[in-house]
Amino acid sequence: MKQARRQVWAVLRREYVERVKTKGFIFSTIAIPVMMLGIIGLMTFMAVRAEQSNRQMALVDFTGQVGQEVARRMDEAGYDVEIVDAQVGLEELDRRVLEDEIEGYVVLDELTVQEGAFAYRSKDSPGPVRGALLESIVVETVLELRLSATESAGGVRALLGGDRLSFERLGDEAQSEVEEAAGLVSGIAGVIILYMAMLMYGAFVLRSVLDEKRNRVVEVVISAVTPGRLMLGKILGVGSMGMTQLGIWAACAALIGLLGVPMLAANLPEADLSNLAEALPGIGALALLLAYFVLGFFLYSSLFAAVGAMCGTEEEAQQTQFPVMMLLIVPFLLQMFSLEGGAFPWMDWAAVFPFFSPIMMFPRAVSGAVPWWMVGMSLVLMVIAVGATAWVAGRIYRVGILMQGKRPTVRELVRWVREA
Amino acid sequence: MAEPAVRLAGVTKSFGAHTAVSDFDLEIPRGAILGLLGPNGSGKTTSIRMMMAILVPDRGTVELFGGFPDFARRSRVGYLPEERGVYEKMKVLEQLVFLGEIRGMERKIVRRRAMEWLERLDLGEWAAKKVQALSKGMQQKVQFIGTVLHNPELLILDEPFSGLDPINQEVLESIVLEQREQGATILFSTHLMEQAERLCERVCLISKSRKVLDGNLREIKRRERSNVVALEFEGDDRWLTRLGVTEIERVGYAHHLTLNARVDRDRILAAAVAEGVSLRRFELLEPTLREIFVRHAGADAADEPALMAAGGAR
Repeated sequence: MKQARRQVWAVLRREYVERVKTKGFIFSTIAIPVMMLGIIGLMTFMAVRAEQSNRQMALVDFTGQVGQEVARRMDEAGYDVEIVDAQVGLEELDRRVLEDEIEGYVVLDELTVQEGAFAYRSKDSPGPVRGALLESIVVETVLELRLSATESAGGVRALLGGDRLSFERLGDEAQSEVEEAAGLVSGIAGVIILYMAMLMYGAFVLRSVLDEKRNRVVEVVISAVTPGRLMLGKILGVGSMGMTQLGIWAACAALIGLLGVPMLAANLPEADLSNLAEALPGIGALALLLAYFVLGFFLYSSLFAAVGAMCGTEEEAQQTQFPVMMLLIVPFLLQMFSLEGGAFPWMDWAAVFPFFSPIMMFPRAVSGAVPWWMVGMSLVLMVIAVGATAWVAGRIYRVGILMQGKRPTVRELVRWVREA
Repeated sequence: MAEPAVRLAGVTKSFGAHTAVSDFDLEIPRGAILGLLGPNGSGKTTSIRMMMAILVPDRGTVELFGGFPDFARRSRVGYLPEERGVYEKMKVLEQLVFLGEIRGMERKIVRRRAMEWLERLDLGEWAAKKVQALSKGMQQKVQFIGTVLHNPELLILDEPFSGLDPINQEVLESIVLEQREQGATILFSTHLMEQAERLCERVCLISKSRKVLDGNLREIKRRERSNVVALEFEGDDRWLTRLGVTEIERVGYAHHLTLNARVDRDRILAAAVAEGVSLRRFELLEPTLREIFVRHAGADAADEPALMAAGGAR
């Protein structure tokens, strides 16, 4: 036992130290979050700029009845509206649009008062959001005008005012809206982290096995260490490196949170940050993330180790790892699909399938979309699957690492597993 | 201690249609130094890989220290494979420490011992360098240190000296002999006949996947009488061509004559007397390993490029 521990430990340490020391590790630890923050920042910046830069609008009212009110409401909605005298003429306004002085203009005429129809002239389509907003502003204003002739204006205004729907959730798990949103966000973030981490660290295990096999170091190592211990040490070593990297990122995120939030609060006194604490993922969600990461990593990396042991060249490995990658890509696509609103009840059951669990069950668990016993079931099934996969992969690994020459066929693989 | 360090009995291994090793028997007693000799592709490496349980024989049994080559027994072996496998990105000392550790050595002890070995092989200043920064020969020395680091009872070395310059070859040879003096059993493969002759107490010759002969080198030589006569004389050498000797080789002042069925020693002596040449030397040479090999495996086996090259290596 002592010998076994020492050997596994030696392999683990080698794998860990040799990876963590590399420039690649340091670079990726810094570069990946910087890159992701950069992309998010750039996208936000562009979106904000795009929205702010084209809010210059004009309005021409041929009726003289609704123009003021429409302009006021547009102003409320954040547009910069200039009411243009009807005498100016549309040609002049068209010229201003074409010369980018204004983004577009709204034309209200007799038909507007009768049917609510109006024109929006611009170089670019208003898009669904702006289109719907303009439409509701114009229609509401016209409705108000027409109804006020018959009823008291105040009552109509109340009827037309916003916030008519209030949602009350039924069932045992009452969640605040913030909590629900937080669950959704940490679910998505978790899926992306799990997907990337397992793909990336799994590939490391594959490379490590393949390199050792290719340069035949494994023949010397295997004369002292059993293949099972070697494989275990390797997976634990790469896994520890992964945990180190994820840990560094988590610590940085926590630090930014701790320092950044008070700073934000001080600079934006009017912003309400009391909900922010609620929006952070709880200890439970983090523990669950860790559980799915550890189990998922064992599951996939033992498969990646088996792939590495089967192959003799980089090219072979590229092809052979495809089925294993599919086990990660399929649940990822299913998960993205169900986020888009295409959830089917069977997907909850697909999430119980051990190979799909990390990516599909974790977000369901944190958003409270499935009962807790399904989460428990998926964890138990994963533990069983880890054992079974390690057994099969271990046998393939044991035969494969010493095998030179062509890649085995499926039939040969079955024989390896049986006879190893 | 009675059981041999290595025992192969009726071992056969094929790869598809090609038979790499056929019905191979071999026993290496404890404390012996044995050279496994044969041209490239004769089955040396396959045999060694079966001893290390890297390959499983199709038939026959392989034993190390009297039992199946399991992990416990294999960790008593220092194995140097033919391929120079190293962790290229690891530092030299770290790599050696790792190799010692997986064989159950204390980290501190193995570090100290590895450093001593590096100093001894003139690699001390390279200890903190990455292995890939070293030349092929230096890498080979590092690998060799990894093989002897844990003081194995049995050294199995597959072509340990190939690719090294003569100075380093001699250094490694002396270490191998020193290990043997300390009680280790040594098996090494080579295609350099002269080297085996210099180092080995026992040899095993294989050719075309079959064992040709094995045993104590001196006994073999005693048994295998020479058929080469060395002659030194004054005067014209044209009379030699009339003798009917097919192979005459000029070595310095001497002529080496290979005897055959029609020409024996007496015939040469008689001819010399008849010609009236003044003989200065007439010696029946001890057969070289190469000659023995040729005699048993046939000239065609010995004429393979590897052996030809080996003949002129030194």
